[in-house]
Amino acid sequence: MKIEGTHELRAPRERVWQALVDPSVLQRCIPGCERLERTGEDSYAATLRTGVGAIKGVFQGSVRLEDMSVPTHYRIVVDGKGQPGFLKGAGDLDLEERDGGTVVRYAGDVQVGGTLASVGQRMIQGAAKMMAAQFFTALEAEAQVEQGDPPPRHGFFRTALRAISGLLRQIFKRH
Amino acid sequence: MARYVGQRVKRTEDPRLIKGLAHYVDDIRLPDTLHVAFVRSIYAHARINGVDAGEALKAPGVVAIFTGKDVSEKIGPVPCASALPELKVPDHRVLATDKVYFVGHPIAAVVAADAYAARDAAELLMIDYEELPAVVNAEEAAQGGAVIHEQFGSNVAYKLTAGEGDIVAALASADRRIKQRIINQRLAPVAMEPRGVLARYLPGEQELTVWSSTQIPHLLRTQLALMIGIPENKLRVITPEVGGGFGSKLNVYAEEALLGWISMQLGRPAKWIETRRENMQATIHGRGQVGEIEIGCKADGTVTGLRYNVVADLGAYHQLLTPAIPTLTGLMLSGAYKIPAIQINVTGVFTNKMATDAYRGAGRPEATYVVERAIDLVAAELGLDPVAVRRRNFPAPEEFPFKTATGLFYDSGNYEGALAKALENAGYERLREEQRAAREQGRIVGIGVSTYVEICALGPSQAMPAGGWESATVRIEPTGTVTVLTGASPHGQGQETSFAQLAADELGVDMGDVTVVHGDTAIVQYGIGTFGSRATAVGGTAVFVAIEKLKEKASKIAAHMLGTDAVNVVFAEGVFSIKETKKAAAAAGDGKAADADSDEVPEPVVPVGEGPAGALPEPETEGRKKVSIQEVALAAHLARELPPDTEPGLSATYFFEPKNFTFPFGTHIAVVEIDRETGEVKFQRYVAVDDCGRVINPMLVDGQVQGGIVQSIGQALYEEVVYDEQGQLITGTLMDYAVPRAKMIPWFELDRTETPTDVNPLGVKGVGEAGTIGATPAIVNAVVDALSPFGVRHIDMPIRPEAVWRIINSSDE
Amino acid sequence: MIPAQFDYAAPATLDEALSLLAERPDDAKILAGGHSLIPAMKLRLAQPALLIDIGRVKDLSYIREEGGQIRIGAMTTHYQLESSERLREICPLLPECAASIGDVQVRNKGTIGGSLAHADPAADWPAAIISLRAELVAVSSRGERVIAADDFFVDMLTTALRPDEVLREIRINAPGGRTGQAYMKVHHPASGFAVVGVAVSLTLGADGKCSAAGVGITGVATKAYRAAQVEGALVGSTPDEQTTASAASHAADGVDANGDIYASADYRRHLAVVYARRAIAEAVAKIK
Repeated sequence: MKIEGTHELRAPRERVWQALVDPSVLQRCIPGCERLERTGEDSYAATLRTGVGAIKGVFQGSVRLEDMSVPTHYRIVVDGKGQPGFLKGAGDLDLEERDGGTVVRYAGDVQVGGTLASVGQRMIQGAAKMMAAQFFTALEAEAQVEQGDPPPRHGFFRTALRAISGLLRQIFKRH
Repeated sequence: MARYVGQRVKRTEDPRLIKGLAHYVDDIRLPDTLHVAFVRSIYAHARINGVDAGEALKAPGVVAIFTGKDVSEKIGPVPCASALPELKVPDHRVLATDKVYFVGHPIAAVVAADAYAARDAAELLMIDYEELPAVVNAEEAAQGGAVIHEQFGSNVAYKLTAGEGDIVAALASADRRIKQRIINQRLAPVAMEPRGVLARYLPGEQELTVWSSTQIPHLLRTQLALMIGIPENKLRVITPEVGGGFGSKLNVYAEEALLGWISMQLGRPAKWIETRRENMQATIHGRGQVGEIEIGCKADGTVTGLRYNVVADLGAYHQLLTPAIPTLTGLMLSGAYKIPAIQINVTGVFTNKMATDAYRGAGRPEATYVVERAIDLVAAELGLDPVAVRRRNFPAPEEFPFKTATGLFYDSGNYEGALAKALENAGYERLREEQRAAREQGRIVGIGVSTYVEICALGPSQAMPAGGWESATVRIEPTGTVTVLTGASPHGQGQETSFAQLAADELGVDMGDVTVVHGDTAIVQYGIGTFGSRATAVGGTAVFVAIEKLKEKASKIAAHMLGTDAVNVVFAEGVFSIKETKKAAAAAGDGKAADADSDEVPEPVVPVGEGPAGALPEPETEGRKKVSIQEVALAAHLARELPPDTEPGLSATYFFEPKNFTFPFGTHIAVVEIDRETGEVKFQRYVAVDDCGRVINPMLVDGQVQGGIVQSIGQALYEEVVYDEQGQLITGTLMDYAVPRAKMIPWFELDRTETPTDVNPLGVKGVGEAGTIGATPAIVNAVVDALSPFGVRHIDMPIRPEAVWRIINSSDE
Repeated sequence: MIPAQFDYAAPATLDEALSLLAERPDDAKILAGGHSLIPAMKLRLAQPALLIDIGRVKDLSYIREEGGQIRIGAMTTHYQLESSERLREICPLLPECAASIGDVQVRNKGTIGGSLAHADPAADWPAAIISLRAELVAVSSRGERVIAADDFFVDMLTTALRPDEVLREIRINAPGGRTGQAYMKVHHPASGFAVVGVAVSLTLGADGKCSAAGVGITGVATKAYRAAQVEGALVGSTPDEQTTASAASHAADGVDANGDIYASADYRRHLAVVYARRAIAEAVAKIK
């Protein structure tokens, strides 16, 4: 599934970029991300406990950032497996400054397999959008924090977002 | 004689089904049964670098886990019965070994104390997959790219050209030539009861019993004996109640062999009941043909030739008949028409999907769809009425047996008769007027006609991979009840009823005294099974001839009992009587009086509870002129006074070998209206006239036709098995795979003509697949007709509203 | 079905259910009919550790009139709503919507509360509930609160209910005056869910002009939504053919529509417009 979208964040591009390459920030923003451990340069091992409503699952996988071009572009490659199935995806993020804020465009291709693929087709696109929105909302909050301040609490989102991470697996899927 | 045959007798199967008292495989509970859960591939194509069962083996209740490495040397390959020249046959092991080839491909069998423990443990199995590129599109797979079975060097399993006549000349001589790409999409059979297997091995007796939801108990027994390596006479296959098959259970599956083998290994019964998701993934699919037709015609609509180049999406492995299905398409490409030159070029292609195989119609719906669309394309091209083009190309009734350019001899037919009746029932001329008026109002209305012919009663053994005959044993028990053992294996068709009707009439007994037994290889003589609209035409004929044999013997015994010769005995309504000479008739008065006399049918002997315990009453024969068949049966079993050289007992067995297929036919007419704003297709009328030869139970025939049309509606408008680009099955449940519901079904106006066949003495042709064969093109033709003002000549199935909306939205009327 | 292991509780009272839920808010699920939850459990996509069956809780299944409101217990089945003579008189949208759900078996067991709390993006009830501006009463061991329908649906399969809350009751202000209602949907041929479903409740004033309008749309986006622009265009106008069509043309304005293998996002948006117009016209026709 191809997915793409645009989010406007009310934060300067430098801050958004920093947030996007900071594993602790990513862990807080990726819905349901319980663990994001560095395994190499720009490579991480991840655990996602995620779901939408009653639909939940745990995924183990890896996240890799490639083609870094500070502060305008990187490519994120995700690979995860869990009881409900697997997800693999790669997507490009492009950051553009606009009126003091940042426009993030993402475009990717994601593959979902297993139970999720065979029963979830009608919801996958919506779930992907939902998760992307959750991610960028959290990211915006992170990017708005002045350096040195404590990070924002996404507990508020988290409840809603727990829902969402199932989407990460679904996030990029067929179209 | 016809007290039952020809009557709308209610199905005797139904009370137990409706009350929930029937026994399907899952209803059979044996003590100490182990339950099996399969771990199946979640990838379409991957190398298996390892299977770690460590955690799973520690899970509570787990008894054993078997992987491909454990079993591949011990259980023979899943069989393919199709013998085509130069067919590539991959080694199809019951569990994947080093690679998986489709989503749902079984990798391991987890055996546990109950189904929950088995499923829980299955989730703990760790499989190290290395994903490989998935081959999903059959046309592309034929061209190159990734190869599924590397040993073959390409994905082409076979190429086959068939047909007679000079197709090149035929097309060259045509006034017009029309080409059209045409698709018969993949479908899932979706029997209401999924598959299921229960196996019990008795180590002492060294006997294995396999209960399986199958259409072919005997063929399965033979194949399983070979796969597992157990003597066939130590293996018993039982098909208890089977909740539908539609061809999907005309097969031998990996799970059936595995369950038998597991029970032998562990010495305990083992059960596996397929889930619906497994059913969608790992039970055969149907159709899956992408082709191009080229048809040539004269200006008056006479068809000169038809060529069909088709790529058949076979899936990853051959199941029992996988490669053979497109050959049936080739055989039926003449449809109901005189087409002098026909050619089919099949390319069978491996893809990373479940195998395609026989699904109700099995190759013939594809052919009929191709031909009936082609005829409508000719009509559209020439601006002729599609009915007129059909009539122009029909063979006349006197041209039968009619030889086609596909090498068949159609036994009998009156295509014009069925067409005329359908047109009259539909009010075709009026419908066309109404259509014109509706179009003036801006409404989108279409009328579609299909005049199909199908090939049934499969078939002569020469044409079949494993015998085309069918068997029957008919027995009259000492107490006078009748047992019919049929080698057919009905699973919803209702032959427990129709064979009882036939036997009751032929033997002059009450239907309630007849029991039809099937689906147990330890009880029933070898048989072939139920598929290809054969059970009544071939299996019913075997019953009929067996009864004739039985009556011959009974007549001898009766004559002996009556103190006369068999030639002097007549049999009517269950009674043997001494033939009345003219003199005797005169003495008894007129003929009517004699008839009235014969109303005094002797009471059947009912020994239960009479006389001393265990003793059977003696039939009284002294000085009698009549004796009932029940009395004869008792005498045959007591065997005290049988004619010389007569074996005791009263039973007869017959194996009927048909000399040809039969070719039922008919006309289906669909009238649809399309919502201009949304593209939704709604039925206004559905009229069908089917001719399946002689009819034993009109209600069963109607039921077969209705069910078949419903499945056609499914193919035409709703159903499609969809794999995504990575080979993930995304119509994996009935939430996405749309089987038609009652409310999507119009009222069917059904009627019949009756053109008997001489292929069998009953004159029956078979009707099990007529609906799926005749209806699909009628519906699509109706939609195309409706959309013709928008310049539409063809539209692919399933016709989803969005596609129709886009056509309407983007065209100028 | 072979789900993952779970504990099962069938409390007799709501308080008991709430205290069970309060103990394990993160891994317990309420069973309220089960027509979405059970299939998800069967597929092991949902693996709640505790299933709290509120089917035996008394007084959760009712249709009452109280304080000018229709009050519906969360465990009232679709069939009970479909067959209520009283609702057919005072709020026919509810029985009409109920009748369009699934099949008879689903309607006999499935409940309005279960459906709303699950918030399937293609479920029928959310459209009706939004169009009727219903209030949803959530209860937990901490107390009770009322959530407006517009605030209830947060996102796909996600509601404003907190993990320890149970939906107890749905409250609807009984429409007064010259009100017409309609629910029209495109059934998905496999699931029976709404590809698009539009619920309309529309009231005319003495002058023949629309004095109030509620339009809820389901199936199009990740959650059911209020077609505020359609409502705005209707209120104050005379809903003739032209006004209706023009109002309905806004049915998917600003909506991020979803697509799947059956219907693309574009087609769904188009269907929303067509069915909004048809549902409004039918609602108006029912007034006269």
